[in-house]
Amino acid sequence: MWDGIIIGGGLAGLLAGIRASERGKRILIISEGVGSLTYSSGALDFGDVEQLQNREKHPYALLGEAPVRAGMDYLQMLFPNYQGTWGVTQDLLTPLGSPRKASLVPSGQNAEALQDAQQIVLMAPEGMKDFFPELIKTNLEKAYPQCIVYIHPFRVSAFESWYALGKSVTGMEYARYWQSKPGLEALKRVLYCMTQIFFPNQESIKNKKSVIIFPGLAATFSDPLKEVLSKAGLPVIEMTSFPPSASGHNLYCALKQKFKSLGGELLAGTGVQRIESQGKLCGKAIVRSKGRFTAFSARSFILATGGIFGGGIEVTAEAAQETVLGLPLYVPAEWTKSEFLGEQPYARMGIEVDSELRPINSRDKEVIFENLRVVGRMLAHWDPWSENCGGGVSLATGWFAGEKL
Amino acid sequence: MTEYQVVIVGGGATGVGILRDLSMRGISALLLEQGDLAHGTSSRFHGLLHSGARYAVKDPESATECIEENYILKRIAPHCISDTGGWFVQTQEDTPDYVEQWIEACAKAHIPTHEISPSAAYMKEPLLSKNVLRVFEVPDATVDGFKIVWANAKSARHYGGQYKTYHQVQRVVVEKERVVGVVTKNLLNGEEFMVHCDIVVNAAGAWASQIAGSIGIPLDVICDKGTLLAFNQRLFQRVINRLRPSGDGDIFVPHETITILGTTSQFVASAQENNPQEEEVKKLLSIGGHLLPGITKHRVIRAFSGVRPLHREDHDVTAVNEEEGRNVSRSFALIDHEIQEGVQGFISIVGGKFTTYRLMAEKVSDWAAAKLGNATPCRTATEDLLPEIPEYLQKKAAQLLPCAPVGKMLERLQEDAESVLMEIQRDPRKGQMLCECEMVSVAEVEKAAADVDTHHLADIRRKTRLGMGTCQGAFCTYRALPLLWQKKEKYDALQDELRDFLNQRWKGIRPILWGQQLRETELTRAIYASILQVGEN
Repeated sequence: MWDGIIIGGGLAGLLAGIRASERGKRILIISEGVGSLTYSSGALDFGDVEQLQNREKHPYALLGEAPVRAGMDYLQMLFPNYQGTWGVTQDLLTPLGSPRKASLVPSGQNAEALQDAQQIVLMAPEGMKDFFPELIKTNLEKAYPQCIVYIHPFRVSAFESWYALGKSVTGMEYARYWQSKPGLEALKRVLYCMTQIFFPNQESIKNKKSVIIFPGLAATFSDPLKEVLSKAGLPVIEMTSFPPSASGHNLYCALKQKFKSLGGELLAGTGVQRIESQGKLCGKAIVRSKGRFTAFSARSFILATGGIFGGGIEVTAEAAQETVLGLPLYVPAEWTKSEFLGEQPYARMGIEVDSELRPINSRDKEVIFENLRVVGRMLAHWDPWSENCGGGVSLATGWFAGEKL
Repeated sequence: MTEYQVVIVGGGATGVGILRDLSMRGISALLLEQGDLAHGTSSRFHGLLHSGARYAVKDPESATECIEENYILKRIAPHCISDTGGWFVQTQEDTPDYVEQWIEACAKAHIPTHEISPSAAYMKEPLLSKNVLRVFEVPDATVDGFKIVWANAKSARHYGGQYKTYHQVQRVVVEKERVVGVVTKNLLNGEEFMVHCDIVVNAAGAWASQIAGSIGIPLDVICDKGTLLAFNQRLFQRVINRLRPSGDGDIFVPHETITILGTTSQFVASAQENNPQEEEVKKLLSIGGHLLPGITKHRVIRAFSGVRPLHREDHDVTAVNEEEGRNVSRSFALIDHEIQEGVQGFISIVGGKFTTYRLMAEKVSDWAAAKLGNATPCRTATEDLLPEIPEYLQKKAAQLLPCAPVGKMLERLQEDAESVLMEIQRDPRKGQMLCECEMVSVAEVEKAAADVDTHHLADIRRKTRLGMGTCQGAFCTYRALPLLWQKKEKYDALQDELRDFLNQRWKGIRPILWGQQLRETELTRAIYASILQVGEN
């Protein structure tokens, strides 16, 4: 008998698992996929919390401010390399080199140093996929008009055979390489060569405030990498990348590792077929693996199956369905609007819950299962893309569910 | 003083067909198109090259035209056509009486039909409904509307014909009951100017009544909207028709890796009303399910609508209902406004269908040539639309690109592939697939972006198929940005190009937003709204 079973191992599920494990609970996470952090930038958005709290039924409104703050603090406590201050946003760069804001930013991505920089050297790894140095340079010059931007193209011998074939190297592959032993040495050489060209002596570094921008690099969770970068003598800013992203992936890996180090168990690669329940209590999660059905019992459950993108909600031409328990879904009558990146009602589809995140019937507001909490993208009445609060809702609800379990 | 002998209004298949035909006869001609070539009905249909069997019972004249043109186009434009063959399938719900009538009518129109047993049919098309009673093979084929229009334009240019895109004709200019030219507006810079000519050909399709209306001539073009669905797989190997009087949702047309299901029919007030609606999609799926059981399990990537410009000669039609769209003849009409309204040198070509575009062009060109005293005969039925792709290019392409994109690229670019291949040879990185769904290389998109008649990301899409595959632009839109940026003097700000393009793609996704395409949408919104923060700036 587990204290808690969490269905889904993305950001919200893992955070809930970590918090509950830390509180001494025996937790099993059953995760069919690998979450969607690898598709994210690695930075976490909270959106305009105050405004969203006033939006009826929004997860922030249900929880109130304290759990949202707690979610933010908790992630920073787990990973001190994530920077953020309540009510203040951090600067970082999009993959196109334009500035953006986010609430919690891996330290390496923090672009504050650009505010008063005078020189920028944009590192341009040969053949890097989805990376457009000339366009980035233009965007940087527009955003930081006081700066001169130089592009520094370079290549590394490890990928010579790829270059020769015209095969691109993804940011993920570069980032992984830099973390390897030969990669670390190569990085030292690359940085050294760059310094020789742009800053031949110490004077030239001091005279002008200079900043290095580096794509395809994710140093936040790697001490050896951070050490190499610190020796560059100049601030190095990582760019966020077009998916898949090493920074997002690293956060995912770090969360998983944290969960396991606290004694949590992760069953990966298989989903929960259904839940056996009695009355208002969930009892067993039935898992199908290697052709056999296995039942796992727990006192409490958390549903963190990632909504539409994660596979927790399946929509066919005829109907929408919550895939594990068949919970009732809020489905907006109007489905879409014409401006693609604006408000899209479909995105607010999800499970309606009470202030304890337990699923409720929309008609009588009665709790359906007393020992089940719903977190993250499975919740109704929010849209990460028009409200910019994907990280915030996942952290707040994940933390809350882990705290209450 | 005249600058051109003929001005053609409209850059669909008929318009470019006329441009080519006239140019081949040595008649100087300019084509004016308000958008990009093929942006209208010529790219918004199921891509069926009719055998004529569909019209055999109801409209024998059309049927005969179709079968003749079918053979001609297969001969002169093989690179635009996939000779898949087609089946007419009678299900248990379809009346046997009609079948006999149909067989006889096909024979009369010289459309070969060949019956095959249902069991043999299932071997070849395993997804086909098991409720099939009889199956007949006909020489249907599939045709790429974009390719054929571009091929005509390219060939016309080779013969000296000219065209201007994003040039809207404001009005036809008549002096002493005689056409002297048109006033056109360059929609990209707002400049208006007059083009002098002896003859104006109105080939504006669904927009034709506006052109005629500019000099007070009434032209009854019925706008009949047809909605279609694109499935993410090639579900059938050949065209599958339902053997019954034509109705909604009764044809599947495979194209490369996708399948198109068509078509609805609904009268609309104007050619602009081409937004596919949810109800139309539902109707298509429910009827299409008779031929393809479990139809909703197959991923739909997009819905799209075109507006058929149907012609009806009587002007006094008041009540029109949906069913009537199918009863108006699909044949075409050539209207000499000198005979009808006493305006010399003005002709409208209305109605017809894609399969007969060449024949329509021939008739118009014959008329224009006669007026101009040009006795050169039409050669479009015999002369290849484009020259064969030289063998050395095929070899070179096979060396430089993965095998799947080779054929696609050569068919799109023909001899222009040479410059793309040279570029890839010079810089192998440009051989990477910028659009992974449709397999379009960086070098090819770069070439399309630099083309003189490319002005928007959507123009690149029509030339290359960028953004038309499974991801519907999620990845390739981003990857095309630096290429647009390199030619930034030509394009709108990147932000606007990107937003317009995504909204255009969205238009076709909205009515089919479920399943995997809904997940794709979440990813696309994550990329552009969150990671790239496009909505913000």
